[in-house]
Amino acid sequence: MKKNLFILALLIIAATLPLYAGAYIMSVFTTILIFMALSLSWDMMLRTGQLSFGTAGFFGLGGYASALIVAHMGFNPLLSLLIGAIFSGLVAFGLGFVVLRLREIYFAITTLALTHVFSVIIRNMDDLTGGASGTQLSTAIFGGNPTKIYYMILVIALLVIFISEVFKRSRIHYAINAIRNDETTAKSSGIDVFKYLLFVFVLTSAIQGLVGAAYVQQYAFVNPESTFSLNFLLLPLAMALVGGIYTTNGPIIGALALGLISEYLKLIMPYGHLVVYGIIIVIVVLFLPQGVYKPIRNKFLKRSIVGGDSNANT
Amino acid sequence: MSFSLKKTYSIILFLAIFMIIVGIWNPHALMDGLQRGSLYALIALPLALVLGILGVLNLAHGEFLTVGFFFIYTLNARFGLDPLAAIVPTVIFLVILGGIIYLLTVKQVVNEGHLSQLLITFGVSLVLLEVINIIWTSRARNVYTNYAYASTEIAGFRFGTYELLYVVAAIAVLIGLQLFLKKTRLGQATFAVGQNPKGAKIVGINVEYVYLFVFSVAVGILGIVAGTMLPRTAIFPAVGSPFTLKSFALAAMAGLGNLNGILFAGILLGIGEAAINYIPNYGGWSDIVFFGVLIIVILVRSYRGAK
Repeated sequence: MKKNLFILALLIIAATLPLYAGAYIMSVFTTILIFMALSLSWDMMLRTGQLSFGTAGFFGLGGYASALIVAHMGFNPLLSLLIGAIFSGLVAFGLGFVVLRLREIYFAITTLALTHVFSVIIRNMDDLTGGASGTQLSTAIFGGNPTKIYYMILVIALLVIFISEVFKRSRIHYAINAIRNDETTAKSSGIDVFKYLLFVFVLTSAIQGLVGAAYVQQYAFVNPESTFSLNFLLLPLAMALVGGIYTTNGPIIGALALGLISEYLKLIMPYGHLVVYGIIIVIVVLFLPQGVYKPIRNKFLKRSIVGGDSNANT
Repeated sequence: MSFSLKKTYSIILFLAIFMIIVGIWNPHALMDGLQRGSLYALIALPLALVLGILGVLNLAHGEFLTVGFFFIYTLNARFGLDPLAAIVPTVIFLVILGGIIYLLTVKQVVNEGHLSQLLITFGVSLVLLEVINIIWTSRARNVYTNYAYASTEIAGFRFGTYELLYVVAAIAVLIGLQLFLKKTRLGQATFAVGQNPKGAKIVGINVEYVYLFVFSVAVGILGIVAGTMLPRTAIFPAVGSPFTLKSFALAAMAGLGNLNGILFAGILLGIGEAAINYIPNYGGWSDIVFFGVLIIVILVRSYRGAK
């Protein structure tokens, strides 16, 4: 009950933010929500035991698909978000048949290499994509209205949170956990491992494409350097790890914490503010391997449920 | 770690045929590829060593190289030390730095999963990168030496001689590492740890010490790379970063722990990259070589492994 009230309060704060927050605060939270959605999508893939480094790649693909379809074919920008998601999903579907046979570090590195391959291909298709200098759209989505953009991204973030919760609560959760814990056992219990992996891979890639499209439409600009920037991989990854992986709350908390801290640090030290970011990551990995969310939650839970296994099903 | 040459004979043959074809088509591409390929291999060797013995993919590899660059640059700017002569103090400095960073961070996660290892080295890479940013700012710098642009001509074919130093350095480091691993006691212990850390511990090898040693030496080798590269390279804080993934590409291609294979793989990919670079109008596609080949090799290996 308490928990539901808390979530409701957060939702109300998020929904009414534009009423009292200035343009700056809103842009900060828009960015945080973008990274939150990416972080969750990365974590959802991780729940199957596959460490994906392709987040930035599918993010960029979705962004490019959406930008090009608006620039060349005059699509409705809002509709183009969907195109971005579908395009990334389709590419992931095609690649999934080959890439998802890989495991562990090889899967991670192949997805990272794919990100670079996407970026090189796009840089060299000058006629369509504008090459290294990128493509400028005539106007940002909603004419650049920050409030509407904030709501658009809030809706996307809530959608991703919802999908992540569905993942945790539906039957698919058992299959995914089984695959992560022991693939051979999962297979012998009749789980079609590849089918589930492909499903999660396509879904998370589509989410990344959707977020990428929203990001690109917000700034009305794509170029290979910034759209495929590894920041869209590393920051979400760090956020999920700081908050705690394999949960919905972890990436959300991580995105809020790291997003706000790095924004504050950007103000007090314009150069090299990421140094503290790196230190935070090192400290979290060394001393809080479960992220910050679980230890804190367990501490509170221990008061009420003594001896209960509070780690189960998270 | 595998050190047999038998498996690599077919690769050498393939490499030789490939080199001849490219050489006939465009000797500049061959020479350029040979030089840059050796450089890639030289940078990848220490990464592969750490990956093979500790099982840790060091994402801060490229940033350690950058630290080496800036250390040499500072020595050169302050004391007028020649970059090649500065290799000695730089290697010492990097060995100490690598050792300290290993003890503070990597040591704690060396027995844990890949995820914490990747993340901690990523954190270290961010810290190094940003500290470099704070100290030296993002302005590009270079060091001028009068020998770096020397060139020579054989039968009408003109090429830079300085870059041949990369080839020499790559071979020298490779032979040095092989000799160390086979001939010295510490090297044999390292070899044993790479094969089976538990077994090594049981027979009385101080595994912790070997890990520390390997990590420090691997970082130290980057000092050699930095010194040889600096005369021809403009440096800025992100200069080393792309080499991490390229190094891993080579290590994955060669197979874990196959040090010889890295040299062949490096030269092969270097020449491939240079060859595409020399195709008019399509030069921009050369960046795809590393990642394309990496993906193909990993896939082929996984399918072969599955059968």
